[in-house]
Amino acid sequence: MMRTALIMISLFVLSGCSIKDVQPWEKETLANDRMQDNAGNTLFTKFENHIFFSKEGSKGGGGVAGGGCGCN
Amino acid sequence: MRPLILILFLTSLLFGYEKGDMLSQEIQDRLGIKTEKIYVIDFFASWCNSCEKEIPYISQVHQKVDPAQVEIIGIDVDKKIENALAFQKELIAKEALTFRVINDPENEIIKEFKPIGMPALFYIQDKKVVEVIYGAVDDIDEVIMADLERLKR
Repeated sequence: MMRTALIMISLFVLSGCSIKDVQPWEKETLANDRMQDNAGNTLFTKFENHIFFSKEGSKGGGGVAGGGCGCN
Repeated sequence: MRPLILILFLTSLLFGYEKGDMLSQEIQDRLGIKTEKIYVIDFFASWCNSCEKEIPYISQVHQKVDPAQVEIIGIDVDKKIENALAFQKELIAKEALTFRVINDPENEIIKEFKPIGMPALFYIQDKKVVEVIYGAVDDIDEVIMADLERLKR
């Protein structure tokens, strides 16, 4: 009896750890621009990139744009 | 044997429509599906950029096909009906949306189909799903035209 109760309680508690999948049609909030990496923080990102590129000497190295000619 | 049948039935509820599946009577009624036509069901939403890009191409297909043989139906799955209507109005103004759209704010229709990605296209023939396309596809108009030609045979 005690064992069954323990199993039932464990199952009930563990069910709290389960994650409900987000379905493709439920991604409205996730598709929002504000949900993107560094969204709404462009100035800070620009500043951080400036430091990174100055230290690394790798302007343009943070993205895919540019051909590496240093002319942009 | 009975539990096995029950498990199989329950698992079938977890999955949506796949190729070869017959549409439920309720879905047939809601979409106005009849036997004599091939239907292309396009699931889209205002927040889905790929869907937005595909809609003008699908509208082009709609203008090319014979309405007696093929019908394209859009299902807008936006939960906020005002967003859905504004999005459709904008597309109609640009002449980018020419086919019939059913709004599904409660997501009752899409939950039956359960596509694994969006945009999603379901081809229906004889009340059965005969082809499915998930996600954005390049030159979708040409792809649909080729699929329709194949299905008409």
